[in-house]
Amino acid sequence: MAFVALSEAEKVYIVHGVQEDLRVDGRGCEDYRCVEVETDVVSNTSGSARVKLGHTDILVGVKAEMGTPKLEKPNEGYLEFFVDCSANATPEFEGRGGDDLGTEIANTLYRIFNNKSSVDLKSLCISPREHCWILYVDVLLLECGGNLFDAISIAVKAALFNTRIPRVRVLEDEEGLKDIELSDDPYDCIQLSVENVPCIVTLCKIGYRHVVDATLQEEACSLASLLVSVTSKGVVTCMRKVGKGSLDPESVFEMMETSKRVGKVLHTSLQSVLHKEESLGPKRQKVGFLG
Amino acid sequence: MLKSRTFLKKTRAGGVMKIVREHYLRDDIGCGASGCAACGSAHEGPVLEPQPLDRVSSLCPQPHYLLPDTNVLLHQIDVLEDPAIRNVIVLQTVLQEVRNRSAPVYKRIRDVTNNQEKHFYTFTNEHHRETYVEQLQGETSNDRNDRAIRVAAKWYNEHLKKMSAENQLRVIFITNDRKNKEKAIEEGIPAFTCEEYVKSLTANPELIDRLACLSEEGNEIDSGKIIFSEHLPLSKLQQGIKSGAYLQGTFRASRENYLEATVWVHGDTEDNKEIILQGLKNLNRAIHEDTVAVELLAKNQWVAPSSVVLLDEGQNEDDMEKEEERECILKTAVSEKMLKPTGRVVGIIRRNWRPYCGMLSKSGIKESRRHLFTPADKRIPRIRIETRQASTLEGQRIIVAIDGWPRNSRYPNGHFVKNLGEVGDKETETEVLLLEHDVPHQPFSQAVLSLLPKMPWSITEKDMKNREDLRHLCVCSVDPPGCTDIDDALHCRELENGNLEVGVHIADVSYFIRPGNALDQESARRGTTVYLCEKRIDMVPELLSSNLCSLRSNVDRLAFSCIWEMNHNAEILKTRFTKSVINSKASLTYAEAQMRIDSSTMNDSITTSLRGLNKLAKILKKGRIENGALTLSSPEVRFHMDSETHDPIDLQTKELRETNSMVEEFMLLANISVAKKIHEEFSEHALLRKHPAPPPSNYEILVKAAKSKNLEIKTDTAKALADSLDRADSLTFPYLNTLLRILATRCMMQAVYFCSGMDTDFHHYGLASPIYTHFTSPIRRYADIIVHRLLAVAVGADCTYPELTDKHKLAELCKNLNFRHKMAQYAQRASVAFHTQLFFKSKGIVSEEAYILFVRKNALVVLIPKYGLEGTVFFEEKDKPKPRLTYDDEIPSLKIEDTVFHIFDKVKVKIMLDSSNLQHQKIRMSLVEPQIPGISVPTDTSNMDISEPETKKKKLQK
Repeated sequence: MAFVALSEAEKVYIVHGVQEDLRVDGRGCEDYRCVEVETDVVSNTSGSARVKLGHTDILVGVKAEMGTPKLEKPNEGYLEFFVDCSANATPEFEGRGGDDLGTEIANTLYRIFNNKSSVDLKSLCISPREHCWILYVDVLLLECGGNLFDAISIAVKAALFNTRIPRVRVLEDEEGLKDIELSDDPYDCIQLSVENVPCIVTLCKIGYRHVVDATLQEEACSLASLLVSVTSKGVVTCMRKVGKGSLDPESVFEMMETSKRVGKVLHTSLQSVLHKEESLGPKRQKVGFLG
Repeated sequence: MLKSRTFLKKTRAGGVMKIVREHYLRDDIGCGASGCAACGSAHEGPVLEPQPLDRVSSLCPQPHYLLPDTNVLLHQIDVLEDPAIRNVIVLQTVLQEVRNRSAPVYKRIRDVTNNQEKHFYTFTNEHHRETYVEQLQGETSNDRNDRAIRVAAKWYNEHLKKMSAENQLRVIFITNDRKNKEKAIEEGIPAFTCEEYVKSLTANPELIDRLACLSEEGNEIDSGKIIFSEHLPLSKLQQGIKSGAYLQGTFRASRENYLEATVWVHGDTEDNKEIILQGLKNLNRAIHEDTVAVELLAKNQWVAPSSVVLLDEGQNEDDMEKEEERECILKTAVSEKMLKPTGRVVGIIRRNWRPYCGMLSKSGIKESRRHLFTPADKRIPRIRIETRQASTLEGQRIIVAIDGWPRNSRYPNGHFVKNLGEVGDKETETEVLLLEHDVPHQPFSQAVLSLLPKMPWSITEKDMKNREDLRHLCVCSVDPPGCTDIDDALHCRELENGNLEVGVHIADVSYFIRPGNALDQESARRGTTVYLCEKRIDMVPELLSSNLCSLRSNVDRLAFSCIWEMNHNAEILKTRFTKSVINSKASLTYAEAQMRIDSSTMNDSITTSLRGLNKLAKILKKGRIENGALTLSSPEVRFHMDSETHDPIDLQTKELRETNSMVEEFMLLANISVAKKIHEEFSEHALLRKHPAPPPSNYEILVKAAKSKNLEIKTDTAKALADSLDRADSLTFPYLNTLLRILATRCMMQAVYFCSGMDTDFHHYGLASPIYTHFTSPIRRYADIIVHRLLAVAVGADCTYPELTDKHKLAELCKNLNFRHKMAQYAQRASVAFHTQLFFKSKGIVSEEAYILFVRKNALVVLIPKYGLEGTVFFEEKDKPKPRLTYDDEIPSLKIEDTVFHIFDKVKVKIMLDSSNLQHQKIRMSLVEPQIPGISVPTDTSNMDISEPETKKKKLQK
């Protein structure tokens, strides 16, 4: 991951600031930086989103492809995650440098989506045991400015919200042979419900307190942080501790409470932004990568 | 301005792909009208006339342009092609839709737009900023296209109004879609249906005939009863074919029986490759050459191919009871083993309609505008057309296109396309048979002619590279008299070591026809030169075929030589191939060559060379026959033409001389040597020719026929067949052997070209050669050109090119060549048949001896050896009482009243040209001897002296 070199004095300054609920950029401990979200940025995907969180810049594309369901879940489709760490983000990612981080993020994403409620996988099934939709979720890190996981989870949720899966019909003849018919109308699509798609809230333990949405500098001051994935209703679906330091049970509990509180707010504002954007329809002026 | 178009596509593997294309919109696309100031700067020159006044329409008196929609273009192309229709705007949307739906129509419309005089303008509305529309939510792509067309029409009207307010130029939208028309009128676009518009053109009433009649779906139900069951939709058919419930195949109607057809099932692993369909309902509106899906019937409903000859003669439409009665005739008790898989057509996968030549059968009702059209091809059903000029079209050869076949109609509906000319007229009839056999016969295009070498042409130093100078050899050519495309020449000389050197020199056509250019493509398309009785349709332009490539005497010509060193027993010691330059010393006819060989006084180098060749040829032939090569026979006829009128005045069967077989023998040898060589060099993509051994069942008729004459024909191998044919002789009946050979020829399979990489069986059955190809006639066969190219690469005389070593391309080429060869053969036969008719027209009624070739249920097929003419003697006539007919399939024999007819029986028949039926002039034959009261015709009709034309012939030869 990207590195910042901080002197001891700078660290002390940050830690003491946090102690006072006043962070370097003026935020409080539970405040997010300004998040920019735009969907439908890559036209040849089924759904896409770009999220900027401070200097963190994430692009997510979702591609729907037809495949066969997994044996153990014959009437469900599934999601596949892949994270690409572009060398644009930091020179360390050059070559295979970003692979470890990419795998780590992908595994985390698999974990937070590995439950029945996050996405209605049954709606991705076309015909049991034979055809289902597979959603390939490709994440591209364009820039790392701290708090990668949160930004990625927001981008994934936005991209899934934007995803349009072509409606297909299964025709069956007398012999039981199936043929798939595709609708002629490109607008004839199904949309996923992202109501229960969780977002990750990362809490960094700095000194005696914890902060959300840490910058790179703040991350450098933290020894341990907790990833909590929270749904819009405030349900925690998954939790993971990262970093080499340790957390005592009491502060873990505190952090979870914070994440629920913060997560709910995050979901509400994301939801409202996405709906607002969608209501603009196809005539919306796109910002894209040049804006 | 940039837009992106998104659409979904199903991939072949069954997946769904989202495809995004960038789509640029521009504002500099001209409207195409000349004098338009707004579009003055547009780069394309104006196409539409500023004042299109030539059409006077009662619906729209002002000057106007037409803007047809897709369906109008697809179905009414015949109208649009008419010279009366000009100044038409073809939208890109329309053009693209047409291209997706019908390639032939697309090609035709492209031709029309390229014609300057038609003033057709293609407007790229999809890229015009103001006429581009995006698909809306809930709109199908069809609706979107309709909207795009309307938007463009509207734009045009507004645009033209801006251009000049006073002269009121308008654009009229032509659509046959009722809803689309209503919407257009709502939007203020003047719109008419094609029919309305064409009918309003008071100056051109003949156009109405060319309108395709399309039954609107609405009125289909209420008029008349439904005769046919519905065709299943394509998606259902495809599923059915996948699951094996239906079989896909090519529909082939029977020539002899309009109620019967066969379907050749595609795919080679099927056991039942051929399915029989019987009865109108089971044929279910399929037309010859369509690709159809058939369903097999239960085994107890299987039938045997009937041996009845049935012609569709009913004038009354929809006379279904009679049909059913006729269908009953077909179903007679037959032994179990004769039954063949039987099916019915459930749907049409692809129609293969083309315009058909034929004649009008005028309706009995005087005022009627609906008439039946009888195509020249008996396999095509009659077509109902609507015309007001029936009386002028009567007795003319016309072209008609099929528009559709509704379920309640006995006949398909069609419309008049073109009048070819009077029936019986030689030009017209030749045109008909060329069209009917799909022979490309238009003059060569400018692009093709531009590739010909400039005259005067001579061999340059550069050409001599990789080429051997054989001008010193004593080469000569032997051909039929009057031959101008000489593609082979021979030489033979003794070497110092006592062996003989024999050379076959073939015109080096591949030097002039370079791969891939227009000339090459055109020759590949034509595939073969077609020889008709009085006309030759060249495969390559005449400059090449009759001059530069023709190995004429005493000029230097480029050749491809195959040179063998042989000993005196005709054993090949050495073979080599080389490009060469030769100078033929003499162009001889077969007769001249024969004369030289026979005359003892001539001893010049050409004659000795010929004698050497002749000697070797005899040995080669003997060897070949011992190997089991077949000598077959087919009655071949040549016409003697009157030099002025070009009418046939006499016919004679082809004479065979020793020299014929001499040339043939060396050509075979060259072909075999070349085949070996190219297969050795290019084992995967050599173009070869094979002749598959016929399945034993093919010989049944031959064996049965011979048995009836107490002869045994063995058909286990080619050798056995050849030997038993040689033995099959009867002292009392010398012509029997020829008849048997004619029958044997009919049992054979068609020889075909193929690509060595796509097949494993190379055997040539008729020639008893393990490998064979065509090398010796590149002027008149395209296959030989490819073989020349392969051989040139093999000997390092020329370079290769990618298509030459692409076996799939080669296989495709072979398919076309096989098709063209078959069609050329049919055209040739049709030409002979037509000239035979002309011949008998001038001769009147003749009685001749004939032999029965086949016995049918209600007819005899006879062969008249004198004319090489085959005909059918029918015993059931419409208005006469039916005679007692008993047919025995086993022997086969036919008992009429009390007389029994067997195959090969000698009969006497009366031949006359039946002009009573103008639809089809045909040669009618009726039985004279043996006499059967009430059936045979009396002999008293003057038996004209056949020797009479002899004198005329002599006159001609003077």
